[in-house]
Amino acid sequence: MAPSYKLTYFDGRGLGETSRFLFKYGGIDFEDVRIKKEEWPQWKEKFAFGQLPVLEHEGKQVGQSIAIARYLAKKVKLAGNDDWENLEIDAIVDTINDLRLKLVPIFYEQDEAKKKALIEVASKETLPYYLPRLEAVVKKNNGHFALGRLTWADFYFATISRVFLHSFTGSDALADYPNLKASRQKVNEIPAIKKWIETRPD
Amino acid sequence: MMEGACIKRTRKSINIFNTTEEMAPAYKLTYFPVEALAEPIRFLFSYGGIEFEDFRFDRENWPQMKPNMPFGQVPVLEHNGKVAHQSIAMARYAAKKAKLVGNDEWEDLEIDAIVDTVNDLRQKIALYHYEADAAVKESRKEPLFKETLPYYLQRLDAVVKANNGHLALGKLTWADLYFVAILKYLNSMCGGNDILADYPNLTALKNTVLELPAIKTWVEKRPNTDM
Repeated sequence: MAPSYKLTYFDGRGLGETSRFLFKYGGIDFEDVRIKKEEWPQWKEKFAFGQLPVLEHEGKQVGQSIAIARYLAKKVKLAGNDDWENLEIDAIVDTINDLRLKLVPIFYEQDEAKKKALIEVASKETLPYYLPRLEAVVKKNNGHFALGRLTWADFYFATISRVFLHSFTGSDALADYPNLKASRQKVNEIPAIKKWIETRPD
Repeated sequence: MMEGACIKRTRKSINIFNTTEEMAPAYKLTYFPVEALAEPIRFLFSYGGIEFEDFRFDRENWPQMKPNMPFGQVPVLEHNGKVAHQSIAMARYAAKKAKLVGNDEWEDLEIDAIVDTVNDLRQKIALYHYEADAAVKESRKEPLFKETLPYYLQRLDAVVKANNGHLALGKLTWADLYFVAILKYLNSMCGGNDILADYPNLTALKNTVLELPAIKTWVEKRPNTDM
């Protein structure tokens, strides 16, 4: 039987990987569709707002990576136990996303001088602002990003940080943040995740 | 004279819980003295009949307040001794309390996705509006007004048409209140124009939400601000 879920994303980790991790963690079968960059132009208009990832299930299609991850987290029991707990998880996920958004322009900047200036701001201001505060959150939460226990916020950081923190600094941006590093390591060592990391296509 | 005599009791005299005459609301929302990103939460609490303290600080106090805010940002929401942050996360929480969410997880996903899409549009507009370099800002103007706004608004208008006048699930959800609550902010960032002028379904949605009795009441009583 075909899997009841189909996740479409580019052929890479990026914003699709959190959901792939969640599917694997929960042992939920899914079709892992990967679109090659050169094929994207003919695919783009098939999706409501021209963006990936997109999740399909029972004939319906939905976009937005964080919304999809939140949905899957509920399915695999990595969400909160009540509305306030879910607010805490949502808030730290949005904060990590804010950090990602501040770094994204670096990837798109073509002008070398401007790119260098952006990296300078990221290294001198953005990362020194966010990373110590995220480190404090994880320290306070018993090695996790919320609620003192494993939630999808941990998965979100583990996947997003690999993509967005290392690609431009050229060094380990988490070197001075042992709690952040440990949290990501712990996620990667979950058996289902470890297996996925070893066997994933990219 | 027995008939017509009435015994007036003050709340204090029958109050056995030793509370003050007026109890503080369970929620305190803190933000700049504007609508912008706090307004969806205000709309949702109002719609749900949930009392909240709408605290708007003076802008000049922000520098001393900022270091005490989670990640240096507002709005924040205080409740039961805890402090939450992140405007959309808090709006989703308020929506649950106000019962404007979906009936199952997939329905909530659909609402979340359209809210995030509206937020994507807001971010693109903000990239233009808040650009400090005048030359860079000017270079972003045409792509924003000629490409980005039409791209998003046409598609959002089509979503509302396909959903019986709403942004999701063919019925009123927090996505509708979220969108309408930030409209004044979006318009002000776009130079004060009505960005919905060419989009009849979105305009109708705006009117639908503004005519909800609880929202109408809120809009009439809220402080009048430009954004």
